[in-house]
Amino acid sequence: MALRSIYRGLKKNNLLSPLCNSCSHLHSHSTSFGYKEVREEEKSQMVGNVFTSVASSYDLMNDLMSGGLHRLWKERLVSKLNPFPGMKHLDVAGGTGDVAFRILESINNVGRRAMRDIHDDNVLDETQIFVCDINPNMLNVGKKRAQERGFGDDKSLVWVEGDAEALKFEDDSMDGYTIAFGIRNVTHIEKALAEAHRVLKRGGRFLCLELSHVELPIFKDLYDYYSFSVIPALGELVAGDRESYQYLVESVRRFPSQEKFAKMIAEAGFDKVEYENLVGGVVAIHSGLKF
Amino acid sequence: MYRSAARRLLPAVCRRTGHFRSKAFPVRFSAPIIHPAAFSAAAASENARNHKLNNFEASNSSSSSSSNEGRKPRVTDRPKAHWQEEQARVLQASLRHVISLGWSDAAMIAGAREVGVSPSIVGSFPRKEAALVEFFMDDCLQRLIDIIDLKEDLTNLIPSNRVAKLVRIRLEMQAPYISKWPQALSIQAQPSNIATSFKQRAMLVDEIWHAAGDESTDIDWYVKRTVLGGIYSTTEIYMLTDTSPGFAHLLSVVDFRDTWAFLDERVREAFDLKKTVQEENLDSVPY
Repeated sequence: MALRSIYRGLKKNNLLSPLCNSCSHLHSHSTSFGYKEVREEEKSQMVGNVFTSVASSYDLMNDLMSGGLHRLWKERLVSKLNPFPGMKHLDVAGGTGDVAFRILESINNVGRRAMRDIHDDNVLDETQIFVCDINPNMLNVGKKRAQERGFGDDKSLVWVEGDAEALKFEDDSMDGYTIAFGIRNVTHIEKALAEAHRVLKRGGRFLCLELSHVELPIFKDLYDYYSFSVIPALGELVAGDRESYQYLVESVRRFPSQEKFAKMIAEAGFDKVEYENLVGGVVAIHSGLKF
Repeated sequence: MYRSAARRLLPAVCRRTGHFRSKAFPVRFSAPIIHPAAFSAAAASENARNHKLNNFEASNSSSSSSSNEGRKPRVTDRPKAHWQEEQARVLQASLRHVISLGWSDAAMIAGAREVGVSPSIVGSFPRKEAALVEFFMDDCLQRLIDIIDLKEDLTNLIPSNRVAKLVRIRLEMQAPYISKWPQALSIQAQPSNIATSFKQRAMLVDEIWHAAGDESTDIDWYVKRTVLGGIYSTTEIYMLTDTSPGFAHLLSVVDFRDTWAFLDERVREAFDLKKTVQEENLDSVPY
């Protein structure tokens, strides 16, 4: 459509921009930053800048862009995870803590408590949920929200600053690993998957919630129109940052398809790799088991 | 013929109930003529497990798809079945906790811990508690098949006694779990699980009739299985409230004497009914 050709034109222009030197192409690899091509070393810096600037209105923008649906998607992710007391869980790129809070609430759920026996209560104290994010601003927002929700003093919640491609956790130490709307921002997805495989225990599960590709004919066009016209405009209005949301929309298109991503997860060593499309493919939850 | 095909099918049914249902495998009864073909097609896919199953799954149009390590299908023969074996081991271990924890997440978590695997694996079973119940049902069917193979004295009995004995053997396998069996029944009755539980019961009833020497190829085939299905279900439910003591009074073991009496009565009635119907049909012949 017209929109797409405009963006392709922009992309061609950007190749000539100072962001990528032609001589440095010979020595370093380039990767995608939305529809732009950038050097790998720069991508994480640029992603960092994006999230620093959106951190404060991140949650509000999520609500506006998805019409509140992102909450349901995260609920689905957590129910698939099936958390249990005594679990050691790692939520990567989970800056503002959405998924982590839901997991904690699920474990502490009163209804569940009724069904438990004494042994479980002791085990409950061993629950640990690590929230790892590369961007300290996002973590700060998360810590504040934790206070508001009453998790401020909960020892189970641990906030860690770290890189998904080089986690500081030990091998075979986590029961669960989730990454919600974060893996597109990683420069080397294979490295992040390999790290996920490394830190998980035997029987541990990997779950990834990510915006993905829509193939349904008419819905696809509607979705494209919404993404490229409405979202950057919303970004400008609400967060005062059109560029970041332009990046967001482009990075979704550049991300591998559901099948391709499932293959990448399998290549990282996971078994029983499956994916579930939500809202016709707008969002997909990929899951894998480590053995 | 059915039995050997069923034996090959069972592990697949046990581990892939979700995937199998969306394949060509018949969920309901199918006419006897089609049956062998369906069984052998499924059996063939079992034999060529790694390659064929991958293709089957690729053609699955449901919202979830699975791909195993996509590297070299030949070499990874063992690892491909690996996670399924692990899941089966976890379920086997969980069964030991069912008596105390019921057919629930808690039993499966305890089972996973016992095997040395992270309890997160419980989340990967598509319908959690239902997976445990279905595993148990398949396990019992497999054990029944093994017993049928070993026991030669079945041929000495008249058909009605043979059927009654087989149903009794099968129900006795459930006896240890009887206190939690109502929960299992309610799990099986849930809408998302009912297709699988129906299929498992159909296989069970088919197996019993086959062992009892049934060779019908017409409407009788359906009638016999439906009737036996009814007898089996009612006896199963009767057993839930049966507290009649057995011969081992001293051990105060519930031996379900009343249940077996009930079962014998029902089977006898069914066979009598069959005789009555046959006589009616003969009477209607004008000679």
